Amino acid sequence: MIDSILSLRSYNPVVKVLAPIPAMVVAGLSRDLWTPAALTVIALVMLLAFGRLRGRALLWTLAGPPLMVAVLTLSFGVWIDREKVGGWSGALEAGLATGLRVSAVLTLALIAGLTSEGTDLVRSMITHLRMPYRIGYAGFAAMRFVPRFRHDLEIIRLAHRVRGVSTGRGPVATTKRYSGYVVPLLAGAMRHGDRVSLAMEARGFGAYPARTERRRVPLRARDAVLALWLLLLCLVPTLPGVLG
Amino acid sequence: MKNLTTRFLMACAAIGAATGVLLIPAFFVSFAISATVPLAYAAMAGVWLLGPVIALAVLRRPGAAVLTMLLAGIINIASPAGPSAIVTNLMVGVAMELGFLVTLYRIWRPWLFHVTALVFQTFYAISAYAYFHIDDVALAGKAGFVILLALSTVGFVQAGLIIAKRLTAAGVARGIRRPQPS
Repeated sequence: MIDSILSLRSYNPVVKVLAPIPAMVVAGLSRDLWTPAALTVIALVMLLAFGRLRGRALLWTLAGPPLMVAVLTLSFGVWIDREKVGGWSGALEAGLATGLRVSAVLTLALIAGLTSEGTDLVRSMITHLRMPYRIGYAGFAAMRFVPRFRHDLEIIRLAHRVRGVSTGRGPVATTKRYSGYVVPLLAGAMRHGDRVSLAMEARGFGAYPARTERRRVPLRARDAVLALWLLLLCLVPTLPGVLG
Repeated sequence: MKNLTTRFLMACAAIGAATGVLLIPAFFVSFAISATVPLAYAAMAGVWLLGPVIALAVLRRPGAAVLTMLLAGIINIASPAGPSAIVTNLMVGVAMELGFLVTLYRIWRPWLFHVTALVFQTFYAISAYAYFHIDDVALAGKAGFVILLALSTVGFVQAGLIIAKRLTAAGVARGIRRPQPS
């Protein structure tokens, strides 16, 4: 099921990250309405048809882009120099273009964001982008640090409370309290990093120039097709001229 | 590769993981406020500088900023920016690294952190100009955008330097830092 050619999840994560970038640049630099609108719709259709989204991710993909376009259109209408763009309609049009541009870049990024696993991306970067595996494994370690941080933060918070560290109430005091957690949290994390590196070296990490992987992330013909398709999206601005 | 000891890599992973956790809400908030008040976006653009500044100031080794931001980007896959966050983060990391590269990693004074960050934000402001249609925004908005961007840059770099100083005082980077030629 996961390997179905119709599921975006079965494609190579590095391809999904890199191939949309030219189209994102085209969308970001466009000044018309057609280009970002067409790219947003194409990316959304790809995600909805082949992304196999569920639950909250599906909800946000459906509701996010229209909501953002609407809010940006209105807010830019307020901010923009109305004399220069020709009254309210011009201001709203500029706002709409900005909203579509932001949502086009966002949805193109979501193609990779919602359909790939971080660990698979790192594995593919090591295998296909020739990233040194020592750096890749630092990436795995960083991912494993995150749940540990949550635990550490809880301990530091409780330690401050048990010692009666009080900054008072309100948003200013909360900011102050949280900034007090930063240094112990980071210091603890770096000490943990020291211990992890000792443990890794004790197990012979980095002894050989290359390393085999148990789980393989394939790079197949379908990935070339996807990359070609995403690169072809750069031609979207020229479509209205071709179609007349 | 010889300089990338496992301990240095794991220190970068620790700072990178913390930066990544900090940047996930930052990406969410930045998308939300870039949609409502583009000017507020300029005010928070400095958040992205915290990670590389802390990494460089604490570890004082070539590649610290790039590595930290690469690892932070890998964490950021869960954010709405998706893996393209890796590109954003790497861009910031490389930019912060450049200032130290051109001084051959001999100068670690606070002013170099500020200057590097401000030069980077100048380039960022130019690209944001097109992206956010700033061209058409009223003059007060333009001035506000530039001033807020500069203020947030200096503010967050300073915050990063203070955190780095306290971390160094806690002794966590002992043995990672290279002996400094004085």
